[in-house]
Amino acid sequence: MDKKNNKNDQLTDWKKKFEAETKTSSADDFLINTDEDIGIKPLYIEDDIKNLNFVDVGSFPGHNPYTRGPKASMYINRPWTIRQYAGFSTAEESNNFYRKNLEAGQKGLSVAFDLPTHRGYDSDDEIVMGDVGKAGVAIDSVEDMKILFDGIPLDQMSVSMTMNGAVLPILASFIVAGEEQGVAVKDLSGTIQNDILKEFMVRNTYIYPPDPSMRIVADIIEYTSKEMPKFNSISISGYHMQEAGADNVLELAYTLADGIEYVRAALSKGLEIDDFAPRLSFFFAIGTDFFMEIAKLRAARTLWYKIMKDFGAKNEKSLTLRTHCQTSGVSLTEKDPYNNIVRTSYEALSAVLGGTQSLHTNSFDEAIALPTEFSARIARNTQLILQNETGVTNTVDPLAGSYFIEKITDEVASKAWEIIQEVEELGGMTKAVNAGIPKLKIEESATKKQAKIDSGDRVVVGVNKFQNPKEPKIDVLVIDNEKVREDQIKKINLLKGSRDNKKLEKSLNELTEDAKNGNNLLYSTVKAIKNRATIGEVSKALEDVFGRHYATSVGVSGVYGKYFEGNKEFMHVTKKIQDFEKSYGRRPRVLVVKMGQDGHDRGAKIVATSFADIGFDIDMGPLFQSPKDVAKDAVENDVHAIGVSTLAAGHKTLVPELMNSLKELDPKNKIIVFVGGIIPEQDYDFLYEKNISAIFGPGSNIIESAEKVIELISDKNNQ
Amino acid sequence: MELVKKVLNNDRASIAKAITLVESSNPKDKEESKQLISSLINHPGHSIRVGFSGPPGVGKSTFIESFGTYLVNKNYKLAILAIDPSSNITGGSILGDKTRMSEISKSQNTFIRSTPSKGSLGGVSYGTREASIILDAAGYDFIFIETVGVGQSETMAANLVDIFTLIVGPGSGDELQGIKKGITEYADIFIVNKNDGDLKLQASKTASDYKSALSFYSKQDNQAAKEVLLVSSIEKQGMDTVIDTINEIIKFNKLNKIFDLRRENQLSYWIKEEIRNQIQSKLDLEVGNDTELFDMTKAVIKGEISIYDVSDHFLYKFLK
Repeated sequence: MDKKNNKNDQLTDWKKKFEAETKTSSADDFLINTDEDIGIKPLYIEDDIKNLNFVDVGSFPGHNPYTRGPKASMYINRPWTIRQYAGFSTAEESNNFYRKNLEAGQKGLSVAFDLPTHRGYDSDDEIVMGDVGKAGVAIDSVEDMKILFDGIPLDQMSVSMTMNGAVLPILASFIVAGEEQGVAVKDLSGTIQNDILKEFMVRNTYIYPPDPSMRIVADIIEYTSKEMPKFNSISISGYHMQEAGADNVLELAYTLADGIEYVRAALSKGLEIDDFAPRLSFFFAIGTDFFMEIAKLRAARTLWYKIMKDFGAKNEKSLTLRTHCQTSGVSLTEKDPYNNIVRTSYEALSAVLGGTQSLHTNSFDEAIALPTEFSARIARNTQLILQNETGVTNTVDPLAGSYFIEKITDEVASKAWEIIQEVEELGGMTKAVNAGIPKLKIEESATKKQAKIDSGDRVVVGVNKFQNPKEPKIDVLVIDNEKVREDQIKKINLLKGSRDNKKLEKSLNELTEDAKNGNNLLYSTVKAIKNRATIGEVSKALEDVFGRHYATSVGVSGVYGKYFEGNKEFMHVTKKIQDFEKSYGRRPRVLVVKMGQDGHDRGAKIVATSFADIGFDIDMGPLFQSPKDVAKDAVENDVHAIGVSTLAAGHKTLVPELMNSLKELDPKNKIIVFVGGIIPEQDYDFLYEKNISAIFGPGSNIIESAEKVIELISDKNNQ
Repeated sequence: MELVKKVLNNDRASIAKAITLVESSNPKDKEESKQLISSLINHPGHSIRVGFSGPPGVGKSTFIESFGTYLVNKNYKLAILAIDPSSNITGGSILGDKTRMSEISKSQNTFIRSTPSKGSLGGVSYGTREASIILDAAGYDFIFIETVGVGQSETMAANLVDIFTLIVGPGSGDELQGIKKGITEYADIFIVNKNDGDLKLQASKTASDYKSALSFYSKQDNQAAKEVLLVSSIEKQGMDTVIDTINEIIKFNKLNKIFDLRRENQLSYWIKEEIRNQIQSKLDLEVGNDTELFDMTKAVIKGEISIYDVSDHFLYKFLK
């Protein structure tokens, strides 16, 4: 009997046994459909890896198509870089933190900026009152940048900066801070995120419209390829897409499509592909779907090789995708938060088995607040244990050859390739983004994921199953935002009092001229920053030419409701809403808003679309509104309730202000205000004192929340 | 009525509550709404009501943001009624127009209200006419009524305003076929939006297409000429010509008594509509639940009587 027949017999035998053990008629009943719409089978066999589209099973690491890794030796020669992203409110505190970590052996540092800096506003701008020092460090000028890197030799330290909107003045400040430290531009090393396309899709920390924004990206790639040979000009990021609800295929496809668009932008500047492509880097999210994440990283390298080869790249560094990864923030839960340590550990292992070059592991308290020193230490140790105790660094790409891994790698690659082709047909990512298509697809995916959790289809331990009857209380970091703002304003006034205003004005005018005539903007920005222009002033000078961008996406409807056809709880809430409509002559009406500079709108969008599907009339507020604007909007539309989504710790200033503005406009208003997002339990009483009616943390069930809201509205209107 | 006084004082919350009242389907609210409108109509302001309609995706809200900001900066007081077409059949609506009006909504000189169209094909919603009376009494200089143009709904929208504007995008030649006849009757101004970037050439071609289509339209002497204007909402270009054109047409219409005539016609249309609605609801109430109707329908099926006998019978009974 030959081997082949023997295998066939074994397969038949296996099926029989499987069906007997599981008491079903077919193994096909166990096909599990993932978010990516990939059917996961109970068993993978040799036949599954025959005739794959993209994966060349048996290829070597450090060899094309680089599925198994960009380097031949991978972690054996050098383990992945532990790179924890951090930013405290002020330059002084952040500097202190970086120095401590560097002493403890950390090799690079990663800067998180606060929201006003991202959006190109100085800390003294009234628009950003509630946002200064939140979610990162406030940088208003090169003086702050100098404090940030005080005592840190910039010719030796690799610095990663998460900056996309105000990318010109921030990179210029970094360059000038280096120069004034005595470090030549060419010796600076690190990465700037500079990935504006994904901002339009998900994160919303853009300043200008897509076209001028793409020009800025190209200017930076051009500048760095000429002046900063050790600096990565862009970190093409899928991370925020997954955070916003994209499945792995969408994340991969849109990230690579963004990459293609940036390459084209750089080529249009007359650069040769191998001049800049070696310095393109990537950034992916690693969620809880263990094997799918591994497949995504392997597929990413495989496809990027193909893309770059088609662009005519020759340098091996251009052909290989090198990536940073971060464990998923949305997979963390507010409920039973210590579980998050376990989630993050699995995610980290997934990233490493996928072959990442550097990794950030989240702190377990990030679903509640910004990390404390304690939680940050555990997060870092998660990686130290992986590197030093588990043996994962001993073998390159240990999962290669697994029928399952190779097959799903190929499936992820094939599906992503299809989407990339769709984007190409639209004329590339800028056009697709302008048409709002990727944003809609990601929102649809996010709403589906939420529906799966709310319906109990997907288990989240401690949230919709296995709840902890005794929720642990944990300490969280508190930021005195008022104090930070006052200190920053003092520093700005000091700067403005001591600079040469004539020189400054001239350089700002030059910048505006360059914006009009197409010269590379980074050169003139560096000049302006040297002359002590603030980040806000530089941004304004460009805004005068480019305008400011406003997002207009509204959200999908019907996706959530479809998941609950015939569901009892859903119908129950719908009925309550219909009863309300009968008694009050209109549907209950809710204004869903974000306030301040926080642009993470996944939560707001999901609430809006699902509440509408349940039966509410939903008013969608624009992004970046002040509490005063929101109050006006709410009163004019005579809404019954306002739902405030907050993720960046702005709730302590912005929400009370909203309550005051409402009272001012309508002293007798009956508007219910509820808050959702990341709010530490310590702040609940504070908010209830300000007459907030309900608070919904991350992981709240939407149908239950909707019921609570309609009850609150009915009670208030019955009074 | 307390509410009347407050509306006349331009109290923001009261204007909003008044609009809720006229939009409500609650019978008690409807009675109150009648009283409210009856007294407010005796306090007319000086508002010019401008209708903006056009197919989805041509950038109506973006245009209104741009144009409205231009007017507000010139110290005009502006009210916007946006009829939002997004409506689920079973669920509620997502009203997203305001996401495109983030600048203008900040101004103290604006009042912006969105209304779900409740499936009335994106046309005028119940209460829009009453809402514009409230806003007129509250003292706004302009009232913009934004509707999504889908076929016949324009007729209704045009019946609520002093000047009716159709917004189109570049390359809307296909629509041109459909609107040639009907819409040219109603629209006073055609605005070709998106006259910017790559679309510039196409936009001016579209504008000349409209101009030549309009040349077939026979204008009567006492009618203002219909205008075709090119604008870019993103680049904020052409806003001055839009307001100039509106002012000119209004001036012309006032001079030629067309302005008042239109308003009179609209009023009598409204009165007739009120009568129709009231008869309708009375009819539904009295005849709809009649067991006699049920019996007589059976008789019609059996061929015992004709349906005209039945309808005459009920009409006689109803009028009695």
